[in-house]
Amino acid sequence: MTTMGRRVRIALFLTALASATGARAEAPVAPSSSACGLAAGDATAIAFPNLERAMKERKRIVAVAIGSSVVGGSFRNGDYYELVEGFLEKTFKGLDVVVVQRGVSGELARDAADRIRLEVARSAPDVVFWQVGTADAMAGLDPAEIGETVRDTIRWLKDHGVDVVLIGLHYTPVLRNDAEYQAVRAMITQVAREERVLRVRRYEVGETLEKLRAGKADTATSGEVATRTDGCMAEDLARSLATGLFARRP
Amino acid sequence: MPRAINVVDFWRGFALVEIFVNHIPGNVYEQFTHKALSLSDSAELFVFLAGWSLKYVEGPAHAPRPTVHVVGRLGLRAGKLYAAHMVIVMMAIAMLAVTSLWLDNPLILEWFNAGAVFTDPIEAHIGLVFLTHQLGYFDILPLYVVLLCLSPLVVILHRRWPALLLPVSAAVYLTALVGQITFPTWPTQGEWFFNPLCWQFDFVLGFLLSRPEGLGGFAARHMTAIRVIALPLIVAAAVLRLEGIELDPTMAPFPRLLFVNDKSFLTPTRIVHFLLLATLFAPTFTFFERYVPRFAGALSLLGRHSLLVFCLGSILSLAGQILRFAFRGGLPLDTIVVCVGLAISFVVARGADWWERAR
Repeated sequence: MTTMGRRVRIALFLTALASATGARAEAPVAPSSSACGLAAGDATAIAFPNLERAMKERKRIVAVAIGSSVVGGSFRNGDYYELVEGFLEKTFKGLDVVVVQRGVSGELARDAADRIRLEVARSAPDVVFWQVGTADAMAGLDPAEIGETVRDTIRWLKDHGVDVVLIGLHYTPVLRNDAEYQAVRAMITQVAREERVLRVRRYEVGETLEKLRAGKADTATSGEVATRTDGCMAEDLARSLATGLFARRP
Repeated sequence: MPRAINVVDFWRGFALVEIFVNHIPGNVYEQFTHKALSLSDSAELFVFLAGWSLKYVEGPAHAPRPTVHVVGRLGLRAGKLYAAHMVIVMMAIAMLAVTSLWLDNPLILEWFNAGAVFTDPIEAHIGLVFLTHQLGYFDILPLYVVLLCLSPLVVILHRRWPALLLPVSAAVYLTALVGQITFPTWPTQGEWFFNPLCWQFDFVLGFLLSRPEGLGGFAARHMTAIRVIALPLIVAAAVLRLEGIELDPTMAPFPRLLFVNDKSFLTPTRIVHFLLLATLFAPTFTFFERYVPRFAGALSLLGRHSLLVFCLGSILSLAGQILRFAFRGGLPLDTIVVCVGLAISFVVARGADWWERAR
């Protein structure tokens, strides 16, 4: 998809969101483009007690986005956090959403874990979006060690009143059969499931979009598919947050 | 003629070796660098020695170079660093592009914060030129460029009002810590990994402690007492690090950056730890020089050609990361990557020595 095409899609998405806002209690899940919807699959409602409290008490939520370089994607793709901000602010009238981006390129989970603690002290977020696993998998680290780090950090965050969203590994066709990459991916999935935190399925979204592209004889390159994936990720993240927040609202 | 073996080149060489090893994250030898037992790492040492080296630009105390001459030299040095940074960044981008094609893996293009260069080249190239867009592990030289651009002010302030330099530098440092002020990145949103407003303090301390008067004179006169204080603190820090015991940053009083351990803001914990570590270990150079002269000579050789070795090390460490990803080699590959990388660095530094002699 071209950049223009993506912009049009985002504009349509936001327009749809704006219209959905009027009937927000009935329609908490954002309409999404068909391709993204297919890719995202079913969004399980995971509670965000700290986000919910922040919404009620302050009408303001602070999110810290952290992890390796690709936490925000590249420049235009990086705006996907703005998309998330925009969606939540439109869905929940009067809500101020601030996303503090603290991604460090190539950062491993163990280093990010240290910085997450610092960022919680520094920015007092209500939720952390943690892009985790890709840099570790590429550096060939032990999946068990990564899993332990992620698990400890999730528990520390919960103990400190901060919700967590894990943003999973990237998809690229050549890594489908990379045993080490897949082992890290499986570990992140397992930790997210066991700790009951939302995992944005970046890999699965990318994989589905790639299949859709192949089926339509689309001429998009793998890089362009990756760009589409970032856009869908934003939708997936925004929808999942909204679903979780609506699910818990009295 | 190349410089004789000396303590500054020796420790700079040490820092360069460690930076090279640490810039291949996940490699087995990373755990044998001093950061494994320390609250600070080789970056503090590298920047401190850059400040220390300012005294060589200034000239001898009894016959200092004219200010205009010093400012000119520092300006040229900053330009040289900037050019070197641009060259290695372009080489790194090309390496990532070639690897992406070789492995048919577009994810490589997003590695090390390079994604914007390929997807948004207009904004990213503006950012690269103005140092607001930095590749991962290629972020020390931008700091160094900024510090060298500031260094004429350091020298002039010190020459006109020597007592003011430390308070001014400390005030900038504390203001940045308390206000959480740093340099933003663009086009990707974020912050400089090395906050120049904080790291200038390390640089200025290096400059002031290199001098026989003022802070440097005070430290020299009380070195024994400082070492007595330093020893238990450094041992305690090593034990804490080894045991994985850390202060919960959310328990720190406000302003928190004054009390936590953060590399980007070079928080007081790190700088104090580094200074104490330096007072304890700096004299070991004499031991190495006397009993292991080849080792002292080898590190000094690297330190003499620090810019060249640093740039080469940056490229080699990126190559090492790519090879580790491509071949998933474990210990044997880590050994080859580290040994070959260091061997190439030594050969190139030796060649630079030969070139200096031949000129």
